[in-house]
Amino acid sequence: MQNHAVLNPVDHKDIKIVTQRSERYGDCVIATLAFAFEFRNIQSDYPILFQKDSNTGKFFPVALLGLKAKENLFLNDQGWDASYIPASILRQPFMVGFQGEKPIVTIDMDSPRVNKIEGEALFDEMGEGTDFLKNVTSMLNELHGAYQDTEVFIDQLLELELLESLALKLMLADGLEHELTGFYTINEDKLGELSADALGKLHNQNFLQPLFMTVASLSRLANLVDRKNKRLVC
Amino acid sequence: MAKMNANVKQVVIAGGGTAGWLSAAILAADRAAVASADFHITLVESPDIAPIGVGEGTWPSMRATLKRIGVSETDFIRECSASFKQGSKFVGWTHGQSETYYHPFSLPQGYDEVNLAAAWQAFSEQVSFADAVSAQSTLCEHGLAPKQIATPEYVPVANYGYHLDSAKFCNFLQKHCVEKLGVTHVLANIAGINSQANGDIASLSLQTGDRIDGDLFIDCTGFTSLLLGQHYQIPLVSQQDILFNDTALAAQVPYGRVDAPIASATLATAQTAGWIWDIGLPHRRGVGYVYSSAHTTREKAEQQLRDYIAIGLGAQHAGTLAVRELTINPGYRQKLWHKNCVGIGIAAGFIEPLEASALVLVELSATMLSDQFPVDREAMNILAKRFNDKFLTQWQRIVEFLKLHYILTQRSDSDYWRDHCAQGTIPERLQELVILWRHQCPWHHDGRFIDDMFPPASFQYVYYGMGGKTQLAANRSQPKGGVDKAMAEFQNNRRKIEQLLGSLPNNRELIDKIMQYGLPKI
Repeated sequence: MQNHAVLNPVDHKDIKIVTQRSERYGDCVIATLAFAFEFRNIQSDYPILFQKDSNTGKFFPVALLGLKAKENLFLNDQGWDASYIPASILRQPFMVGFQGEKPIVTIDMDSPRVNKIEGEALFDEMGEGTDFLKNVTSMLNELHGAYQDTEVFIDQLLELELLESLALKLMLADGLEHELTGFYTINEDKLGELSADALGKLHNQNFLQPLFMTVASLSRLANLVDRKNKRLVC
Repeated sequence: MAKMNANVKQVVIAGGGTAGWLSAAILAADRAAVASADFHITLVESPDIAPIGVGEGTWPSMRATLKRIGVSETDFIRECSASFKQGSKFVGWTHGQSETYYHPFSLPQGYDEVNLAAAWQAFSEQVSFADAVSAQSTLCEHGLAPKQIATPEYVPVANYGYHLDSAKFCNFLQKHCVEKLGVTHVLANIAGINSQANGDIASLSLQTGDRIDGDLFIDCTGFTSLLLGQHYQIPLVSQQDILFNDTALAAQVPYGRVDAPIASATLATAQTAGWIWDIGLPHRRGVGYVYSSAHTTREKAEQQLRDYIAIGLGAQHAGTLAVRELTINPGYRQKLWHKNCVGIGIAAGFIEPLEASALVLVELSATMLSDQFPVDREAMNILAKRFNDKFLTQWQRIVEFLKLHYILTQRSDSDYWRDHCAQGTIPERLQELVILWRHQCPWHHDGRFIDDMFPPASFQYVYYGMGGKTQLAANRSQPKGGVDKAMAEFQNNRRKIEQLLGSLPNNRELIDKIMQYGLPKI
């Protein structure tokens, strides 16, 4: 469970944040939220799929990290083995909260990254935010806007009926069939049938790039299967 | 002069209640790609007659119907103040006390493979039939929704239909028909009906002086039955000697608080001369007493209704609620399709709202009409015969099934219940079924058609719900492994209940979320 507190130099003066990537810091997840602006980077390592929020029924894009629950095939003893780490992972344990209309930085005090001994300090002796915190704050500011852009992107995909459920059956090195369910992807037939008007609109909204990055990213499924098979064989 | 090979292009619907608009929507949506010169619908509605507005409960079939006409479930739920219905709960029908049973929308577990009714007999003292074979009665008892917010539109986790505000539903359908489906809406009173030489209806004359020509006319004028009843004088086949209820008192009841739970089933509570329906919508309840005027007075009936409402609302508030009276002539027309005129909805027939058969009959009629739409006048005679055959049988089946709810009662506290059990009031086919069921469980042989409205599962829920017994005869065939299979299904049902109780939101939570987020389309 998360326990979010509004970040401030009084309560959190001595807090440090561990930035290593590891299972013990909560990085073992099958998928993580992806923002439309980072799809180009994400697709170089991960398949981009879509999932539904069980609490709202709303779709959101994810970078797929594993093939079953609580599996991240990019994590090893040395850390995170990929050229790009998704922003939703990097932002941990911080989130954007709101005081009225005003966005504020909140911190999940129950995150195993939060401690007083090791990692990056948030405030110096004078109570001023460190460079680390400044970076975090500017990233969160960007992510807030990026989240709203991503929602508009999804709404467009739904309006054009471009999403379809993905039923994936994989044959793995252990000879067992593995099923991946609960994810959605772009229906490429429908994408191919889009009118010039619809494409023009997507272009004007700067959604063509993330759309085709999503389509391209499906090739990365093979990487995941490779990583999985290597683990199974070892 | 009507030519036998003239194509049927112009459809005229008289009446703009739910029957008229649903028929218009189904016919028009199925022909969305047809040029308007080859098919066109005009719906004439009187500006002076308000729709009856009964039928606030649907069957699960309404999901397919709404999808077919191309509306979004989210829009429907938001604009028609709809909630989810998973079946009916009957209170006090057997003994007149607080005993209850369910007729859920879900078929018994493993229904395609095994008749669980036989295996359940041994446990009938420990667990009700519905609880043993289906998760749905338990879901209803907990007030749970039949799906989650992430479940796509029209897809069930547990089978469901709707409760809805019928006035809002009419407006919703009208808007869709006119704006999306190209139906022409004429607001005018009908002044006359003009015939062709062969007796077909040629056109309707309007009070405005206009005339509307048509090849096929659909009578959706409700109790007036303007075309079928008045113009063609097709008599009503009264069913009052079987189903006595001929009067309804209806009220709209506010909730005590805005976050009050919304019931997942229609509540039907037996009274001394009929029964009270109780339908939970998001913003109010619809409550009404449908009774036999031969067995009680209007005053007594109204008092019973107000007493019922007072339980949740307090006597003071219940005493001041507006109550609307409705007279029902229970029965159906001797012919439902005559010449070039089809009756759909109350114009074709109406019976007490037990088991919510009104809207589903509209759906079935309009769907059959659309699926087997006459290409020309010659085809019309053949299709009319088919239509009459099918729906006159459906009407008999409905009457028999509704009567089944009454005849097993052990109530003897009023003439109403005693009269219901009198042999002479029970249709012969139903008498025969009940004799068979003493020694064999209701099953597929008991139906006649694959598309009978009430499957044998429904017979089972009501027969055993009312306390009916089956003493399996010694000479009955025992399917191999049948008992093991049945035990496994009971087990599956228990597991399913556990799993669903832990994962489904309650009705109110889901409706609130649909208001906020909408259901996903996929």
